[in-house]
This record gives sequence, C-alpha cells and structure tokens, in this order.
Amino acid sequence: MTVRNRRPFFYLAVAVICILLVLPVITFMINAFAFRWFYPQFIPAEWSLQAWERLQLIPPEGERTLTNWLALLGSSDVIDALVVSLVIGVGVTLFSVVIGLPAARALGMHKFRGKRIVEFMILAPTIVPSIAFVLGLNINFIRWELSGSLFGVALVHLVPVMPYVVLTLSGVFANYNPDFEDQARTLGAGPLRTFWYVTLPAIFPGIVVAALFAFLVSWSQYLLTFLIGAGRVITLPILLFASASGGNNAVIAVMSLIFIAPAILTLLVTSRYLSGESGAVGGFGRI
Amino acid sequence: MIGERWRIPLMLAPTLIIIVVLFFGSLGYGFLQSLGWQPNIGNTTFSLDAYATVLFSPEYREQFWSGLWLTIWVSLASTFISAALALMSALLLRQTFIGKKIATFLFQLNLPVPHLVIAIGMIFLFSQSGLAARAAAQLGMISTPNEFPVMLRDAGGVGIILAYLWKEVPFFGIVLLAILQSVGEDYEDLARSLGANRWQRFRHVILPLVMPGLLSSSIIVFAFTFGTYEVPKLLGVRFPEMLPVMALEFFLNPDLNARAEGMALSMIIAAITLLIVVAYMWAGNRAVQR
Amino acid sequence: MTHVILSNLTKSFPGNPVAAVNTMNLDIPSGQLVAFLGPSGCGKTTTLKMIAGLITPTVGDITFDGASVLAVPPEKRGAVMVFQNYLLFPYMSVGQNVGFGLKMRGVEPKVIDRKVIEMLDLVKLPNIANRRPRQLSGGQQQRVALARALITEPKVLLLDEPLSNLDAHLRDEMRELILSIQRNLGVTMIFVTHDQEEAVLLANQIALIFDGVLQQYAAPDVFYRQPISERAARFFGGINFVPATRRGERLETAFGAFHVRTPGVENAPEGEVTLTIRPEQVVLNPADDENCTSGRIRSRIYVGTYTRYKIMIGDIEIEATRSGDIDHALNEGDAVRVGFPADRIWVVGRS
Ligand SMILES: Nc1ncnc2c1ncn2[C@@H]1O[C@H](COP(=O)(O)OP(=O)(O)OP(=O)(O)O)[C@@H](O)[C@H]1O
Ligand SMILES: [Mg+2]
Repeated sequence: MTVRNRRPFFYLAVAVICILLVLPVITFMINAFAFRWFYPQFIPAEWSLQAWERLQLIPPEGERTLTNWLALLGSSDVIDALVVSLVIGVGVTLFSVVIGLPAARALGMHKFRGKRIVEFMILAPTIVPSIAFVLGLNINFIRWELSGSLFGVALVHLVPVMPYVVLTLSGVFANYNPDFEDQARTLGAGPLRTFWYVTLPAIFPGIVVAALFAFLVSWSQYLLTFLIGAGRVITLPILLFASASGGNNAVIAVMSLIFIAPAILTLLVTSRYLSGESGAVGGFGRI
Repeated sequence: MIGERWRIPLMLAPTLIIIVVLFFGSLGYGFLQSLGWQPNIGNTTFSLDAYATVLFSPEYREQFWSGLWLTIWVSLASTFISAALALMSALLLRQTFIGKKIATFLFQLNLPVPHLVIAIGMIFLFSQSGLAARAAAQLGMISTPNEFPVMLRDAGGVGIILAYLWKEVPFFGIVLLAILQSVGEDYEDLARSLGANRWQRFRHVILPLVMPGLLSSSIIVFAFTFGTYEVPKLLGVRFPEMLPVMALEFFLNPDLNARAEGMALSMIIAAITLLIVVAYMWAGNRAVQR
Repeated sequence: MTHVILSNLTKSFPGNPVAAVNTMNLDIPSGQLVAFLGPSGCGKTTTLKMIAGLITPTVGDITFDGASVLAVPPEKRGAVMVFQNYLLFPYMSVGQNVGFGLKMRGVEPKVIDRKVIEMLDLVKLPNIANRRPRQLSGGQQQRVALARALITEPKVLLLDEPLSNLDAHLRDEMRELILSIQRNLGVTMIFVTHDQEEAVLLANQIALIFDGVLQQYAAPDVFYRQPISERAARFFGGINFVPATRRGERLETAFGAFHVRTPGVENAPEGEVTLTIRPEQVVLNPADDENCTSGRIRSRIYVGTYTRYKIMIGDIEIEATRSGDIDHALNEGDAVRVGFPADRIWVVGRS
C-alpha cells in the first residue's frame, strides 16, 4: 500500500544512482569516437575513428585490407601491452590457483597448531598497502635480476592475488565433504582420478571465482608493475597511466575502453558462479 | 608415503613461501632500510634519522603532516560516504521491481573497472571542460570553463574522494545486497509485528544485521584508499600531497639518502593503516554489542 | 481478548494465476485457540501474515472486535507473529530480545527489565536474560520467541508452525506451555500446522485448508466423524473408501447394501457417493448380522496395543483395527464377517 505511492520516486532514485555510476564508462565511449569536441558542446558535433587509427588499432580509412589489419599486430603499442597484460594475468591466475589449492584445503578442512597465524599471514597483504612492501622488494629484485622481467612482475602480482585465491577456495573447502573422496577410493579410483572426477567438480565454482579475482587483481596492477617492471614491462595500465596525465582525450578514452573491456567480459562470463556472500568479493576492493 | 606430520606444512608451503619471502621479507627489508641500513652504499648502522627527518625536520615536516591529515581525511570520508550511499542504494535495489536485473547490472558495472580508469573518468567528468562543466554551460549556469568549481587537483582532495565513491559504492553495495538477501525480510516483518516503525526497523534490525559485513568491507576500503598511489597521483595536488605519492617521490629521488626517507614514510603508512584498522574493528564491535 | 473475523479474504501473488488464499471466511471467537491445518503450500502462512498486516489482501476484510484493521499497519495492529524459525535477533541478548517490543514503544528501561523477568518466568526460563540466543537449545529459543511476543500483550497471537522444529519430547512440553498460557491469559491464538495430530491435541477449532480454500471449520472430533470430503477424511487418517449409491438411509455398494443412520448424515450428499468408515469402527465377526458382508483376511499385523487387519471384500480392500491382545481365531486367509455399524458409516461426495 505505502509502497505503491512511492513508486515514481523509487524509480527516479534507482535511475539516478545507476546513471551516475555508469557515467565514467559512458564518457569513455563518447570520447573514444568524438572528433574536435569543443567546449561547451554537450554532445560532439563530429565523430571519427581517428584515435583508433592513431593507436594503430585499425588501419587508416581506405586502407582497411586484410594485410593491413594483420600488420597492426606487430606495430601497435596498445596491442603489445594488451598481450603482455594477458600473458601476466593468465600466468598469475594459473599459478596462484595451483599453489593456492592445497593451502586452501589445509585451511578449510583441517585444524592444526598455528592455523590462526597462517591465516593472518596470508591475509596480511589485503590490509597492508602495496607501497609498504614494494619499495623493499624493488631493491632486492634488482639484486636478484628479476627486475624488468615478465617473470619478476608476475611473481610480485602473486602477493596481492594469493590472499583472495586462498580465501575463496578455503571457503569452498570448509563446506566440502571429504567422504566423497573416500567413497571414490573404495570404489577403485586412484588419487589422480579421485581428484579429477570427485574433488574438482565439487570445487569447480570456487575455482572459477578464485581465477576471476586472480586475473582481475593482476590485470589492474599499476604500482607493482611500474616499480618491478622498471620501464621494460609495459602493461596496459602502465601505458594508460603514462598518457593519462597529458594525452589526447580521445586516445585516453580508447585505451581505457580496451583496458576495461576484458575485465567486464571476464566478470560477465563468470558472474553466475559469483555469490556476494563469499569472502572473495573483498577482491573487488583491490581492483 | 609422506608422513602425516608433514602433509599440512607441505600443502601450505608454496603459498607461505611466496607471502613470507616477497611480502614479509620485503616489509622487513624496507624497515631495515628505513633505519638507515643500506650496505650497498656503506651504511650498516641503525638510526631513526629518516623518521626524524620526515616527521620533524623543517624541510619536510609541514609537507608530511599536511599530507597525513589529507590522507586520513580522504580515506575516512571515502569510506563513510560510500558506505552510507551504498546502504541506501542496497535498500532500494533489494526490492522487487521491473528492470531490477538491468539496474543491478549497471550498479555493479564499475566493480571490475580498475581505480586508475575511474580516476581518468573523473577527469572526463569533472574537469573544467568536462561533461559536468559542459552540462552547466548548456544550462546557462556558467559561461566560461573557469567558472566551474575546481573539483580535481584541489587541496581538499575532493576529486580523489569522488573517484573512490564511484568505485566503492558498488563494492559496498554488492556486499550489502548479498547480506540483505541471505537474511531475508523475516526479521523486519517480525520486528514490525512487535511494533517497530520504519526508522526503528532500520536502526535496530537492518543496521545490526549488516554491520559485521559493512565493517569488514570498510576495513578493506579504508586500507586501500589509504595506501593507493595512482588515484591521488592523477587527481591530487603537489601540496598537500597524499602520503603514498610522497613516499614514492622520496624513493625515486636520485639521491640515495632520500631512499631511507621513502622507506620510513611507507612504514609509517603501514603502521597507521594497521592502527586505524584495529581501532575501527574495536569501535565497530562495541557499536554492534550495544 | 479479541474477536477476529476474516471475510472473503483473498490473496493473489503477481505472476501466479492461482490465488494463494481464496475467499476465506472465518469467525474466530475471542479467547479461542484455532489451528490452520493443511499441507505445505496451501496458504497458511499467507493467511497468518495477512492477519498480522505483513501482507496486504487482494480482496476481503479482516476485523478485530468488529472494526476493520486493514488500514492499521502491522506495528500498530497488536497481532504479533511468532515465526517458525524463531528469528531471535542474533546480536542481542535473550533479555534484549524479549524486551524488544516494549523498547519500540518507548517503555522505560527499568519497567522493561522487570517485565522481561516476568515473561521469562512465564515460559519457565528463569535466569537466562544475559545469554546469547545461539547458546540456547531449539526448545529454549522457541520459548524466548514466545516470551518476546507475549510481552507486548498482543490482541491476537499468531504462531507459525510452533512445534515443527522441536523433537517429540520437547513438543509435548511446548504444547503444555502453550495451552497453559492460553488458559491463563485468554488471548486469542491462531497457530499453523501441517500435522493433524498436533491440531487435534491443541485447538478448540480447526480450519482445514487445501490449495488456499477453506474446506471445513469445526471442532477436532468432527473431522473424524463427519469429514467434508474424501480428501479431508484421508488427511485425518481415513483409509476405507467404497463407491456407493445413496438413497436416503440406504447405501448400495458392489458387495451389498447398508443402512446409514449416523447423526448429521441428512446433510451429506445423495446419489453417487463414497462410503467411508474409520478402521477402528469396522467390526469383525459381529454378534448381530445387520449391515454385514463377507471377506477374507489378507494380512494381520500386530502393532502392540492393537492389531491391524487387511480384508479383501471382492476386489476392495478394507482395513480394520482391533485393540487389545492378538486374536488367534482370526488368521491370514480366514473367511470373516465384516460389519459396518449404521451409526458409524459416513458419506462423502464422489471425487
Ligand atoms: N511472496 C510470494 N510471492 C509469490 N508467491 C508466494 C509468496 N509467498 C507465498 N507464495 C505462494 O503462495 C502459496 C502459499 O504459500 P504459504 O507460504 O502461505 O504456504 P504454507 O501453507 O505456509 O506452506 P508451508 O507449510 O510450506 O509453510 C504457495 O504456493 C507459495 O508458493
Ligand atoms: Mg508456511
């Protein structure tokens, strides 16, 4: 009864909240295709693909042949950075899930002495800001000659990534019944096949969520990549940040779109596995 | 067969090695360096000089203290305002209505968008030639860009706070929506049948139920906003300057002695974060108990 | 002490063509203990929530002592609901939980404290005001929930499945408690259950509901003697159903004709009907041969205090029970005379 009277106001409030929140993404879309968008025009008078051409993401008009499209692959800084970001992101994701699985199982299913301390240690990087450890790490990585290498950067990304992977998976293991594994063993499955046919299907949704956060957290790192990559590992955020403080708006907008598209896509594909209740959503605070 | 005794340590080992070596090791190493221990340039003695320089020297003290207050202000304001806005939004979005799916999707769209990108979005939106200024001009509220209020790169950190709001409202929102959904509306119905009015249901039922989740996500948000670099770098001013930006500038200074000061500053950031997190948890727990 | 009347009460949820509660008419006199009985999903909780004001009816009216309460919001209505899963606020102590309703009314803390102790005594849980809800057993939580509702001195107390989460032994205890509170306070109480035995043990009147429609509203014994339909009879443990044709007192079945003279049967249907009789009323080898037919014992199961016989009469199976010790004169395969006393047979419409 009271609800019905409030409806117009209710829809207005919801619309205002949602539109305000998506405005940044909308401005990227406008800016990416705007041409000579002078103040105080609210909507650009002219549109163009000029910024995309300048970043060598599409060939210039009139030259859009297959060979020219393929030629972009080697020549565009943005595509190079995209590939570097992807390689690091996927590598970090795979590695973190593989080493996080046993740790999560130990924390989720077993009681042992010093468990609280281990939990505290693994979660510490979620609270302590990156700047506090990366400065010391930077010096050591230079000494160990890991600085400036893809491997070194991926290794550092593990620090903010591991807590979320372990947190997600240990939550799954806490609700997991190991009797199924024993049942499989008594029915004649070896350890590997037990893992493949029994354990993995049961924890699969958790693995998807863990992988999602691993990828997104790695994907969005700027400071760690900047300090450890030492100017030699150019990921998308590095490229974007460099042009953000004084580039052409259209170019910045195009790079921003390219940067956020895979992240939104990953979330869309995996969202059905994601429930807001798992401790892992804390990972969104880190992106 | 691996002995039972070693099974759990072995399961934990790979993760712990990463964390201990890369995180705690670096933290410790940074701490030693902040005490002036830099064997590569021949300093093997310990001193608190770097801390004294940052905190009290006439050269830096004004910069440090103004930066500290700015950082605390920005983090606390971002955390509280976004938590409050998110709670309001979640209370709206949990209802059933036509278009709920789309609204929820749009509400959560910024979750995977990195802070760096949102900061750039703020420039597009709120700079003096940004979308907001153009809207104001179209409405005849201003006639030249300079009349639009300075919201970015301002001494009060408004631009930085705005960027955090855009990121953290959806973050708090998803946590709150999940809690509200799993709790259901039965507690509120019950309180209502026992005579609680709308405000009383909010104060005595909804708030205590969401408080634990709100608290733990506030800690994440606070710690993040306190120590992050790229947002204040893009949207802040040189004076007062947020602490993480200041720390990195010290560290990247070609003068290797400034490195100790950078380390000291980063240790101070870590210590203050921990201190405020602990205080916040303590206060929050008391608020829940009451 | 409140007289509750539901008239034409109907609730349809959006997107569902079938009404969850359909044109319900019910008169609940002051101080009665009424059970809403029916299978899962039949609309019991929905009705209860409409009385509490938590759900707005699509059609119909609810009156308390003659005055419509539809416009009265739940927090002012005085119809307090106790939920099935107790819903004690986890962040409050037991005492704070019980005192909640008074706090909402702005009652002085000192008065609240005193009343809380009184209420906890009433539900026989002294000295636990400072504990946390999670430290209590299910039965204790249920009683705290009851105390929390009673402290506001409700006009109507609404209990949603108050016993279903308790084990058998606690159930008896809780039942006693509810009955004694009802007797002492005289508050009008409505409780929901899907267990007919519980309804019979507790209620003055039972409202039997199927698919959102009120089937029968009567005292418990009526459901055993004079069920309204085959489905109602089955819900109360009826098991013998025989197709019959009725003309006045005469019932024709496949295995012979019977007379029916049960009080109230005048109002039962005529023509194509179903004869029903409870197993404990079927007489084996009766002394006089009126209303009798022949059958054969198919099985005999001894259940301790009584024996259950399954008897085939032609191709129709009839169940009979006999209390007391096992009767070795009646064995599997024996022929037997089966009597349906004329004042025990009941008739329901053919379904
Ligand atoms: N909020 C709602 N929206 C849509 N349909 C509903 C809603 N609440 C209940 N229903 C439907 O109304 C019908 C009656 O539900 P109700 O909860 O009243 O049943 P019940 O008799 O209490 O069952 P149970 O014994 O399982 O608690 C069910 O078919 C249910 O699916
Ligand atoms: Mg129900």
